[in-house]
Amino acid sequence: MNLAPYRKKSPWILHYNAGGCNGCDIEILACLSPKYDIERFGMINTGNPKQSDILLVTGPVTKRSRERLVEIYAQMPEPKVVISCGACASTGGVFRGMYNCEGGVDQFIPVDVYVCGCGTRPEQIIDGVVQALAILEKKTKGLEESVKLKKEAVKEGHQLNRRHIADEIKPVLT
Amino acid sequence: MGRQYEIPVGAQHISLLEPLHFKFTTENEKIIRTDANVYYVHRGIEQACCSKFKFRQVSFVVGRVCGLCSISHTTAYSQVAEKLLKLDIPKRAKYLRMLVIELDRIHSHLLCLSHVAENSGFEALFMKTMQYREFSMELLEAVCGNRIQYDFSIVGGVARDLKPETGQLILQRLKNFMPQLEELVGIYQHNRTLSLKNKGVGVLSKDDALRLNVVGPFARAAGLAVDVRNETEDLLPWKEVGFEMITDTAGDVHARNMIRLREIYISIRIIQNIINGLPESALLTETKAFPDGEATVRLEAPRGELFYYAKGNKTQVLERLKIKAPTFSNVAGMVHAFTGNEYGSAAAIIASYDPCLSCTAR
Repeated sequence: MNLAPYRKKSPWILHYNAGGCNGCDIEILACLSPKYDIERFGMINTGNPKQSDILLVTGPVTKRSRERLVEIYAQMPEPKVVISCGACASTGGVFRGMYNCEGGVDQFIPVDVYVCGCGTRPEQIIDGVVQALAILEKKTKGLEESVKLKKEAVKEGHQLNRRHIADEIKPVLT
Repeated sequence: MGRQYEIPVGAQHISLLEPLHFKFTTENEKIIRTDANVYYVHRGIEQACCSKFKFRQVSFVVGRVCGLCSISHTTAYSQVAEKLLKLDIPKRAKYLRMLVIELDRIHSHLLCLSHVAENSGFEALFMKTMQYREFSMELLEAVCGNRIQYDFSIVGGVARDLKPETGQLILQRLKNFMPQLEELVGIYQHNRTLSLKNKGVGVLSKDDALRLNVVGPFARAAGLAVDVRNETEDLLPWKEVGFEMITDTAGDVHARNMIRLREIYISIRIIQNIINGLPESALLTETKAFPDGEATVRLEAPRGELFYYAKGNKTQVLERLKIKAPTFSNVAGMVHAFTGNEYGSAAAIIASYDPCLSCTAR
């Protein structure tokens, strides 16, 4: 089943607070509310990392929440996009250099979109999420390309399927 | 005697805004023991305030302790610094501080109510409450210039003045909000489905509330008349602007909802009184003194009593700053009130406490 079009039309959001001040979190909640309503982009706030496509992280990463952050990121299926919400998630902000803060999400997981502001406005979050949609589409295509590259090695007239790919790998193993 | 199961909730969970870990020990779906772990978001703000930042900068740093009640933190710090500097602030600044604190209380209480509705499974009411809440965010933006993290109070006064047309806008919006609030009260009070989920759930008795040192709406719902606005008059003149104590007796989730809704009425009355009787004076008292000695300040944040202690040593940097947030006092009561409830209603009970862990862990 080809999931790519659905992923673009309806990305699911996972939200994790890695030690922020709640400010950006309530603005993410405000994004779900009728005034800003990001559900018109098909987005749903989900609590399960295994079902989500976009990870919204807020807060400078504290020493206790960093393992949880990395684990949540690892549990998300490919393709995935990470948005860091707010000044402290992007750079550490005012908390940079405090003894229990690591200062920025991008020290632990790759971040695709940085949203600035303390606190972020809902309009900025929506802007960042829409940028993330384009990146998600690009990443989805990137995932498909790796299969297409293998297609060139197969002789003409052949339909590519799993067995062909497996056949190619076999001689390498022996 | 059934088998006991341990169910973890958190640190990442859809019903939680913040990393908070509960471990429920359940028997036949009934919670018999709870362990709470609230220190995921400890950042070390107190230490940084005493070493990295000058005392005038600290009021902006402590605002970042919590995004929901940042004005309470900045105001409490400004007051404690003014006590150290032996500074008297202008009357208009006091009134403007109270105005923003009450606007903040409206938005915080409505957020908590919507969260309770969502966690009780009433998604439509969540949307409705969030929709009605937007007016308070717009008013805060009109008064302070930012939707959250206002940085309104500074040491010696306030940072911005209230224009007369902004005051009129606030009065107009509050007038528009009144029928919406009546509607919300009707739903939260009489809706049968929500009542089944909320009445008699998460009960904390008055004796337990007193014994476990609970503060804020959590305590007032149990029948304890604790409110700093009722006790202190020296820093902010609350009674002058029409403060009134509100208590309930049931102590369950429904009672907490009703306490919050009735407090919004009081907040609206206070805001109207402030705008109609705003005194004319300067906004800021300048001084070149350095903080010296020790001082404490108590302030009623939306979640309860906020306590600040500061010690200065005649330099730019404070020697010690201690923050005791309302949720820190409530943790013992929170853990206690789960006992005997169904596991299914745990999410609604958590939301009804209105926990603010970034305050607690700092």
